[in-house]
Parts: sequence; structure tokens; C-alpha cells
Amino acid sequence: MDSNKKYWKGLEELNKTPEFVEKNKHEFAEPLPIEEVLSGAGLASRTPRRDFLKALGFGVGAVTLAACQKVPVHKSIPYLIKPEEVTPGVANYYTSTYNGHAILVKTREGRPIKVEGNPGDLLAGGGLSAQAQASVLDLYDTNRLKDPQLNGGDAGWDEVDAFVKQQLAAAQAGGKKIRIISSTVHSPSTQAVINDFIAKYPAAAHINYDAFSYTGIIQANQQSFGKAVLPHYNFDKADVIVSVGADFLGSWISGEEFTKQYVSNRGSKALESKKMSRHIQFESGMSITGTNADARIPVKVSEEGLVLVALYNAISGTTLPGTKKLESAKAATAVTLAAKELLAAKGKALVVAGSNEVANQVVANAINVLLGSYGATIDLDNPSNQYKGNDAQFVAFINEAKRGEVGAAIFLNANPAYDYFNAKDVKDALGKIKLKVSFSSQKDETADLANVIAPNHHYLESWGDDSAVSGYYTVLQPTINPVYNTRQAEQSLLIWSENAVTDYYTYVRNNWVNNLLTLGGLSGQSGWETLLQTGFVKVAPKTAAPVTNAANVSAAAQLIAANSAKLAASGDDKVELQLYINTAIGDGSYANNPWLQELPDPVSKVTWDNYAALAPKYAEKLGVEEGDVVKIEANGYSIEVPVLLQPGQAQGTVSVAVGYGRTHSGLVGNSVGKNAYPFASFSNGTIGKTLVATISKTGEVSPLAQTQTHHSYEGRDVIREVSLKEYLKDPAAGTDHGKEHKTYDLWEAHERPVYDWKMAIDLNACTGCGACIVACSAENNIPVVGKDEVRRRREMHWIRIDRYYSYEKNGQAAADEETGLVTKEKEIAKLEDLDHVTVVHQPMMCQHCDHAPCETVCPVLATVHSSEGLNQMAYNRCVGTRYCANNCPYKVRRFNWFNYWNDSRFDNYLQNEHTQLVLNPDVTTRFRGVMEKCSMCVQRIQAGKLKAKIEKRPLTDGEIKVACQQTCTANAIIFGNANDPNSELSKALKSERTYYVLQELNVQPGIGYQVKVRNTIENELA
Amino acid sequence: MASHSESIIREPLITGKNITYAQITNEVLLPVENKPNKAWWIGFVVASLGALLWVVSISLTFWYGLGEWGLNKTVGWAWDITGFVWWVGIGHAGTLISAVLLLFRQNWRNSINRSAEAMTIFAVICAATYIVAHMGRPWLAYFTLPLPNQYVLWVNWNSALMMDVFAISTYFSVSLVFWYTGLLPDIATIRDRAVPGLRRRIYSILSFGWSGSVKTWQRFETVSLILAGISTPLVLSVHTIVSFDFATSLEPGWHTTIFPPYFVAGAIFSGFAMVQTLLLVTRKVLGLENYITMFHIESMNKIITLTGSIVGVAYLTEFFIAWYSGVEYEQYAFINRATGPYWWAYWSMMSCNVISPQLFWFKKLRTSIPFSWALSIVVNIGMWFERFVIIVTSLHRDYIPSSWVMFYPSWVDVGVFIGSIGLFFTMFLLFIRFLPSVAMAEVKLLLKSSSEQAKKKLIDHGHLDAEQVADYKDALKKYDSVDLADYETIK
Repeated sequence: MDSNKKYWKGLEELNKTPEFVEKNKHEFAEPLPIEEVLSGAGLASRTPRRDFLKALGFGVGAVTLAACQKVPVHKSIPYLIKPEEVTPGVANYYTSTYNGHAILVKTREGRPIKVEGNPGDLLAGGGLSAQAQASVLDLYDTNRLKDPQLNGGDAGWDEVDAFVKQQLAAAQAGGKKIRIISSTVHSPSTQAVINDFIAKYPAAAHINYDAFSYTGIIQANQQSFGKAVLPHYNFDKADVIVSVGADFLGSWISGEEFTKQYVSNRGSKALESKKMSRHIQFESGMSITGTNADARIPVKVSEEGLVLVALYNAISGTTLPGTKKLESAKAATAVTLAAKELLAAKGKALVVAGSNEVANQVVANAINVLLGSYGATIDLDNPSNQYKGNDAQFVAFINEAKRGEVGAAIFLNANPAYDYFNAKDVKDALGKIKLKVSFSSQKDETADLANVIAPNHHYLESWGDDSAVSGYYTVLQPTINPVYNTRQAEQSLLIWSENAVTDYYTYVRNNWVNNLLTLGGLSGQSGWETLLQTGFVKVAPKTAAPVTNAANVSAAAQLIAANSAKLAASGDDKVELQLYINTAIGDGSYANNPWLQELPDPVSKVTWDNYAALAPKYAEKLGVEEGDVVKIEANGYSIEVPVLLQPGQAQGTVSVAVGYGRTHSGLVGNSVGKNAYPFASFSNGTIGKTLVATISKTGEVSPLAQTQTHHSYEGRDVIREVSLKEYLKDPAAGTDHGKEHKTYDLWEAHERPVYDWKMAIDLNACTGCGACIVACSAENNIPVVGKDEVRRRREMHWIRIDRYYSYEKNGQAAADEETGLVTKEKEIAKLEDLDHVTVVHQPMMCQHCDHAPCETVCPVLATVHSSEGLNQMAYNRCVGTRYCANNCPYKVRRFNWFNYWNDSRFDNYLQNEHTQLVLNPDVTTRFRGVMEKCSMCVQRIQAGKLKAKIEKRPLTDGEIKVACQQTCTANAIIFGNANDPNSELSKALKSERTYYVLQELNVQPGIGYQVKVRNTIENELA
Repeated sequence: MASHSESIIREPLITGKNITYAQITNEVLLPVENKPNKAWWIGFVVASLGALLWVVSISLTFWYGLGEWGLNKTVGWAWDITGFVWWVGIGHAGTLISAVLLLFRQNWRNSINRSAEAMTIFAVICAATYIVAHMGRPWLAYFTLPLPNQYVLWVNWNSALMMDVFAISTYFSVSLVFWYTGLLPDIATIRDRAVPGLRRRIYSILSFGWSGSVKTWQRFETVSLILAGISTPLVLSVHTIVSFDFATSLEPGWHTTIFPPYFVAGAIFSGFAMVQTLLLVTRKVLGLENYITMFHIESMNKIITLTGSIVGVAYLTEFFIAWYSGVEYEQYAFINRATGPYWWAYWSMMSCNVISPQLFWFKKLRTSIPFSWALSIVVNIGMWFERFVIIVTSLHRDYIPSSWVMFYPSWVDVGVFIGSIGLFFTMFLLFIRFLPSVAMAEVKLLLKSSSEQAKKKLIDHGHLDAEQVADYKDALKKYDSVDLADYETIK
């Protein structure tokens, strides 16, 4: 349709002025000098030969130069059809299970990058151990097997299946035994698969084999109560806890769970209600549990049993046969005292023993019966499934195999060729077995001897379920497609046993739909889906049946006396050796994890090594110093390890951690430390980890890679500690409340209009376990630097746990020097007796000072204050003068001495494309020459704020959790907005116990610490 | 002014008989106009090997990162900043001699100012290399300059390091200009004596067309005075600002208000020691005994004693204040210095810096050339230890005991330091080969008034107080370049 409407661009056009008409004729406003160009020297002139050659030369040269640059080819495949749930840049969380703990797995763009506790987890309530935090890294371990192996070479699954099935059939037909050896199976579905397998091959049997077993407890319960179970302990219900050698906050049964229970009776909440449990620890080596005790009495390994007997005597008022006097008068007094306390707390008392000797556990049971602990602090009727291993069964298997009775052995999560005390026996036994199958995902020591390796999925690639304690079921679901050509062990077993269902996912779901969902009040497909979202079901616990003690306590006491006499070391070079599991490497299965190798031991702060822990005075007697290599010899086996001077170690004893000295763990763990398993021995039905050994100096020196080399706090106000008595008298004891000076500011206060992020750390809750360190490493892409660099004191951890020893002279606990607290290096050096030390753990990271000393000295403003109270690092601006680190009174800044992500001279095990997939894409990796430090997980703060903004609501308190806080089972760390007076953080900071480290400097740190309170009994002990 | 007679009680600044202007030129330019001798070559080879070590060590550091050094999480500065402050301090004597002594009309400076200024420049170059090398990302060193940019990034004027960048660059540029201005008449002399050719062309360009007219000389004098005026505050300010690197921090052992004067005194102390180290050798090798006389040596030794004593008082004051402050961290820092794991560094510093210069109260020692030379080395060792003690023993044990560590240098640390000395001597040896090591023009000014021959003439003329002449003769005894026999005949 034509329109008569007239459009005009301007008044000139409308009015049609002559100038406009004239101008409008031309395309360009100004005439172009085309003619001149064409007629002049421009086109008309010839191109001189020289110019041509010049242009040609330049062109060819430039192109050649440009071609020299190798352009990297990045093969990226876009989503042709984008999965609905995957949005680049947005994390997804899936419920799953780690070792019986309900967890959440954080995935980014389809790859799991972090493991976090499920807040509903029955065991640890959302906390996770260092090992759980580090487990995600194992998924990306380049040492994993990429294909199944048959007789030492790569093979297809079909070949493997055919071979295994044929061999199994042959074994069955030939009347030979078939054995499945696994570490304790606590997954109902895995157990069902094994049961199905045994149904198909009646010659088969299942043996639970734990490197560090709890056979002693299980057998003792069988003797005492006729129940061969590992009970479920309730430390939260105990007002008085006596532990004889049980490291229950660390490696003993269920460390995280017990930490949560233990702290619930000792942290802020308990203290506010004027309540705190008392914990007395008798032990030889200094364990993390011992460091947290209110009173810790070092006793020799040989005396641990005697302490139990003495305790029994004191409580019962009788004298058992075989009672011996304790060597140390202090220990004897402590036993009497502990007995008094325990009796007073009858029904709220708990005695635990760490020994694997049945006799010791029988006496411990008897004590607990006297104290009325069963049904209160110990639950026999809802037992723990975590350890079911029976040492005798495995020893029997080895003997059977050596006799040639076994035709097939299948190893699931078990590595006896490394962790059984007699590796030669294992080798001989396996030599006589025709079919040896290992499900190991790496060619470990046992897999190396096997003829079939059917590599298992990593747990993050697996379906499954778990039940760590009775009545608590968790589900395991994969968060990534299998990375390599691996197959889940259960599926292999299903295929080999020709099960009707060979798909393990279907099997698991069937098992849940048919058996388990109903326990949690769920059913069918919807129930299954609900389960996958919540991650677990809980069943109401069974009520406790009354117990009667049927065991012969007298016989046990006599056995203890005999064992003790056997163990008591006599002679100058003889020493009582105790093997233990440390919190990082565990039984050795985590040896190939660099995060865990670099995690400092909570007590000794040693990384990348095991060592001989000796009492300083005893070491002096031996003539050895820290780092000197000693030879420990027993049972025809010897190792050479460096010495660690461990205050609090019982005289005449040495503690050595197992889990080291792996030969087939992979790049990281191979030949780190020495293998101490071969020192163990089998007697009285259990594998004992204590023995008499010879110790001698070798003359060599191997410096330990310690992250902390000064151990006393020099009496400085950095640590504040009071006794419970003082706290009850004055809740603000030990702090500066009411004694504050007037302070003056050089600077104007920072504006913090909306948020003021701060933190509160409860020294009474922190047990020093170090899970936060690994959580932080995983969240913030903190590089691993390796043993040599740690020796140069260059570890990169953003959070560290400072561990300080102090010494109470004459047993007095008062917190000032006049009354005897000895903490200074020089005074300590003069002390004769370093046995009775107390220990404090203090998490230390960037304090985000409001008057940050680092900020004023940076020449380029690379570290500045945010409007939310954070001290921030602009990595790209940093030129690396390190002045900020020098000027930081807390020494929490870490410098990138090398390009840790790409320096081939030292492998930090994260320098390959595959392993780097574990990195958190929200946090940049730092180049060399750049300073870094705790950012208070600023990426999490941003993500939380963004989420609230998108949902058009204010941020709620507790919505943002920083990584260290999140993994802390003890809830020692509270993070939040100090501008909100009702936030949990504000309340915590208002606690009378709050003090600030180095507050006298007026740097105005943003992290408030709460005074350590110890429920001491020292006065009475003296 | 050259025609005025100077009092006989003043000791001569130029010795020797029948010295003429031409002779001064000939003697000073001897190494410049001739092929270098064996001694020079040996020195040069050794020094360049040192410089090569520097190149290797620095290259390793740049290529792999600062992890090549022995630093760690607690000790973020050690040999690097120790070396930096040491070199900057050494530079100070040159500026003091050329600027402050000029303003105070201390004519004896004329013989030594050229070498001292050259030393300043080379020392500041060595110091500047440390500034860049100690950075984690040296390729971004320009971030420390307030360059306008589209990111609206700016530098932190509160930071002492920022002030340092300006202090050092100002110092270097002013020193260079001052030194070069002074060189102009001497370069012109070389130019005029050179046969036509490349050499002449180069010196001709370098001389900026110096014509030697009265107007030129007059302007030259004025510029020298102005530059001296500009340089004088720098003598005080540069090391004051360097001391701010420590004094404005929170670190116990660093956070002290005494640092600026104490650092300046220490700088002059070490600078004069370095001038001694260099000139005592140069004087001998180049045969400049008549121009750099015992009077010069003794004067410098006196300054060393004075500044050494100031430094000693500062050390004691620090201890007193640490005790008096009642701050436990401060007290511990100082007890740790004297008795902690680095006690040997502290006591090396004390004995080298405080005790040894006191030996110069003995005239025999301060006029002994071998002793002066040995002591100048001792002082420089002591001053290196001073910076090491301040930096490392403060850092390695500060507030939080859990972070207390030890510092052990790597071979690269040592290589960079030894190498920087090699670099310094390489530059210095090239300097005496190509430029006059004594300011000829300025020395010539003194010939008519303050030389031994002028004074001898005065004595020969008579009309002098006999007692003063006796004093004068007495003073000549310490000179190693005076023939005392000439004076025996005089009553």
C-alpha cells in the first residue's frame, strides 16, 4: 500500500535549502581526491623491483615467524544436546556415601570436584574427615588401571570373564575352596552380592580382613555377652571418659562420629550450660585423642592392660589375680582418681581400650558392666558394622592356601600382600592358588601377585549403598561416567556368578525397593527417587537388652599380666614398639593421595614420612636427636626411620605409624616412609600391634618435613587456656574483657554497609584433626609442594593448625607464671620430665584484619579491603615483593615460590591434564611469584549472595558455609555476618570466652577465638 | 682562588716535588691512555667471572622462580634485601663526599670524589638489580610506577616500598648527573690529548662540546653547586626511606623510630669503608700516592670511627628501648638476636661494626695502609651482618611461635650476592680504564694552594711561625709519599 506520508530527516531537507540540495548531490560531504590519486605518483608509477622484493621479503618473513608459534589445539566438544541438569558454571550436588557417611558430591560440568558432608548424616552431621575430603582426588589418579588385566597384560572384559568363570567352575568342581577376601563389607547390597556368589559357588566363603582389625573387641563381646559385635559407642552420653590407648578422636573405629559426640559435651553449648565432660587418657604414644584429654597419663605399652586391671580393681574393690603395681606412681594415683570419677558418674561413664588383645577388652567390658555403661554409653544391640574383620579367619585362609586347599581367591579392597604382617606367607599362599583375582583399581602389592585384575570403579563412579551402623542406611550413586575401562566389583561378581540380574544398578535398586526402603517408610520408584535425593534412611534403634557378664575376668587379668611381662622391654637397646594408624594415611590405602601425604600429622606436624616417636629423655639416653635415623629391629625384620622427639611419649616406648613404605601404590605413595606392618604378630586369636624391639643408631640423618618446628607458645597470649573451675567462677577468665585499653585509629574505619564477614573459632571444640586443611586445599586449588619443599618450610596451606605444648610444673594448672605454668623454650629445655605435657590446637588462617598490616605495605595495592570486611588478594596485580607476608603478624600468607602447576622439575602430582580436572573452576590457580592466602572462600560468599539475589530474598544466616567450617565435625568454626546481631556468629563473638589473637597490636583481626577450657584434675593428681 | 696561600698548619693535599699541571694529567690519565697492565687484567678477569656467576644465578631465579633462593613461608626477605640495603648504604659515601663535603668546602674531597661517585653509581645499580630480582614477577616491575592506565590501577603511596622506588631512582639519576657533570672537563682533556680517530670522536661526543672558556667554567661551578644542593638532602633521605621499609612495619625488631638516623650513619660508615677498600688499592696500582695521600686516608678513617660509634650507640639504644617498652615481642626479638640461633651473626656485627672501628683511636693504626684496608673489609662484613641480623633474626621468630623457622641460604642466594660484587668490580675496573679515576681539574685547583710543594715554597720564603712549621713537619711524618729528607735542612 502506498502511503502519502512524508518523512524527512531534518529541517534542511524539509525546507530544501539550496545548500542542502547542492550537498545532497554528492555521496561524500567533502570531495574525495580520487583524481589526484589516480593521476599522480600513486597508481601510475611503476612498482620498483626493490620495493617488490622488500614487500615479498617482509611478507615471507612475517608469515614464517608467525608459523613458528605453535598454536595449541584445544579440542572441545560442545554439547550438541545439552543435558538438562548441566549448566556450565553452576554446580550440581548429588547425594552419595563415603565409607558409611552420607555425603554430597559437588560436580561441575559433569565432573565431581568436591565431597561435602550431608548435613543429615547420622554419624558426623555434615562433617567429614580429611580422608573423605581427599578421596575425590583419587578419582583422577593417573596411576589407576585403565583396563582389566589378565596374566599381566591388558585384556578385554569378555576374556577376563571367560577365564574367571572357567577357573571358578574348575575350582568348584575340583573340590577346592574359593575365598573372597575383603576389608569389612558394610554395604547391604555388596553383602547380598557376595551371598549370591556363595550360593552359586558353595565352595566359596567370605572373609572380612581388616589391616587394623577390632577382633579383640568383637571376640571379647562374644565372651562377655555372647554377641560377637563391635558395639556402637555414645561419647555424648558420657560425663567421664577413660580411654586406655584408644585414639577415639582419630583412627579408632569412627573418629568423626566420636568427635561430634565428644565435642557436644565440651564445646560452647555445653559450657554455656556449665557442663563439660572429663576425659582421662592413658596411652604410650601421643595420639590426637591424648592431646585433647583433660588429663593424659603416659604409660608403657606393656602397662596398658595393667591399667585396665588396676582400674577394675579400684572400681570393684576387689583384687584380680595377676594384678601388678604400675611403674609410675602418678599413673597409679590417676587410676584411683579415674575410678572415683567413673563411679561417681555411674551410668554416664565410659571406658574404652585400644588394644586388640581379647583379654584387655574383656576387662574393659567388665569395667563398663560395673559402671552400668551398657544401654547408656555403649550400645550392643545396634552395633557398628564398620569393622567385622576376624584375624583368625584370615590366618586360617593363609594356612589353607599354603596347604594347597584353595583354588580361587578374590580380593576386594584388601591388600594383604602389603598390610598382612607376613608378606612372605601371603606370597607363598597365593603361589599355590590357581585363580587370584584383585579388584584393586591400581596394581597394588596384592594385585601384582594376582593373575586377574578386574579394576573396580572409584566410588564416585559407582552405585551401591552402605550401613556403617545398624539402622542407618545410605545410598551410593555415581556422579561421573567411568573414566577408564573399569567395572564395578559387585557387577563382576554378579557376572561371574551368573546372577539373574547382572546390572548392579538394577540389583541395588531391587535390594532397596524390596528390603530397605520400607525401613525408612518409603516404597517403590518414588521412594527410590526420594532416597536418591535425601541420601539415607534411619531406622529407630532397637532398645537395649540387659547385659550380664559371662566372661572370666580373672583369667583375662592373668593373661594380661603374662602378656605384659612378655612385652616389658628389658635391656638398654630394647624398646616397646607400638604400631599405630595416623589420621592422614590410615592403613596405607590412602598412600597415593598427595593431599593426605602433605597433611601434617595433627600431633607431630610431620608430612610425607613415618618416624620413630621417642620421648626426648629416652632419645637423649640413646644418644639420638630429631631427624637421626634409627634402626628398629624385631622378629627378623628391621626398618630405618628418622627419630621424632615426642613430648608425652612414654619412656622406653617407640611408636611407628603403619601405612607407609608402599611399593605399588603409585607415583605419590611409593617409598614414602617405611612399612611397619611386618612387626605385627598373631597370638591369642588376634593380630597384635605391640612388641619388643631393638633400637639402634645408624648414624644417618634424614630431616623430617615438619610444618611446625617450634612447639612451645612461649607463654604468649596467643593461646588462652583456663581450667573449668576458673571458667565456672568467671566465664570471661583468660580473656581481656573489662580490661580493654582505649585504642586510637590512624585510619578511618572501613565501610561495611551490608555484610561484615567474620569468624569465630572455639578452641574447646577443635580437636586438631586437620580435615579443614584438606577441605581448604580441595576448595581453593592449593598446590601440593612435596617433601623437599615442606622441608624448606614452603607448604602452601591456607589454614594450618598450630599445635603447642605446655607443661605444668608441680602439677599446677593456674595460668600465670608465678604459679608454675612453664611454656618458654629455654625453661622447657631445662626440664627433666617432658612426659606430662598438655597440648592445645589452634586453627590459624588469614584473620582478615580491619587494620590489616599487609594492606598498608603493598606497593601496588594488590591486597586491599573489601566493603564486606574481607582482606582480598588481587593475584593479577601482585608483583611478589613479599612485604605483606613479612608484615603479617600471624604469618598466614603463602608465596608461590615456583610455578607449582607446571614445573617439571618437581612433580606435585597435579601437573597433568587429567588430575587437574579436580580443580575448582571457581578459583583460579596462582602463578609463580604471587602471594596467596585464605580468602574466606570468597567464591562461596559470592555464589551465596548471587543465589539470594536471584531468588529476590535476603541472605539467611548459615546459608554460606566456608570449606573449613563445613567439614568440621566438631563445629569449631562459625562463619557469618557480624552486621547481623542475630547471626550465630555474632552470638559466638559475644561469648565471654572470646578473645582475639594479638589483639594488643590493634590490627583488629576478624577471627575471634574462644578460650580453651580444660576440665583439669591436676591439683588432685600432684 | 688557587693563588691564595693556605695556612701552613693545614696538611698538604698533594704531595711530591715539582708537580705540574701536565704531570697531574699525565699521571691520572696513565691507565686511560695506555694498554692496561697485568694487575688490571687479573682483576678484570676475576671480577667478570663474578659477574658471570651473577648472570647465572639471576637467570636461574628468573627462569624457575624465587624458590631457587632459601626463603620460606616465614622469612620472606633475607639475602636479597640484605644485599639491597648493603649496596645502597655503600653508595652513600660517594654522595656525601661529592655533595656535602663540597658545600662544606672540604677541599680534600677533590682527590677522592670521582671514584667515590663512580662507586655510588655502581653500588646503586647493584642495589637496583636486587629490587627487581627480589620480585616474584619481575617482568611486572613497572607495576610499581604510577603509570596512568585504563584499569584505573594506582600505586600505594602508604607503602615504604613505593617510596623506595622513588628514592632509589631519584638517587640514581641525580648521582649520575652529578658525576657526569664533574667528568666533563676531564673528558675534554682526554679528547684534546687523543690523536684524531674513533677514540677522539667518542670522547668528543662524551665531552658535550666542552670548550674550557671562562663562561663554561663558571657555569660548571654553578651547576656543581646546585647539584650538590640537590644531592645533599638525598644523603639523608634515601637511607631514611630505605629504613622505612622496616620502620613502618609491625615486625618486632623493625618497628623502631631510631631507624632513619641509625641507617644513615650506618650507610656512611659502610660507604667510607668501601671507598677505602677501593682507593687503597687503586692508589697503589695506579701510582696515585701523591694525590690520594695519608691525609685522605686518615680523614676517612676518622669518619669511619665517628659513624661506627653512632651505629654502636644505636645498637645499644635499640636494646634499651626494647627493654623499656615492656613489649614482650620486642624484648624477645632482641634477646633472640643476641642469644638465639643466629647469635653468631649478631656478635659478628657487634665486633665488626662497634668494636673494630674503635681501634682507629690509635694514630698508628689509622695511618697504617694495610690495617686500614683490612679494617675497611671488616666494616663491610659487619655492615652486611647488620642488615642480615635486622632482617632475618627479626623475621624468623616474630609473633606466633608456631611459624618460627630457620633460614638457610641456597647456593643461588650466595651466587647472586657474590655475583653482585663481581658486577660492581667489573664496572669499577672498566671505569678506571676509560675515565680518569681522579678529578684532574679539581685536583689541579689545589696544586697552587694546598700542595706540599706550595707549602714548601712558603716555608722556604720564611715569615712563618716556627712552631707552626714544626707542627707541619711533624704532620708530614705519617705520609708515605713525602720525602722527609727535604725537610731536614730546615731549621
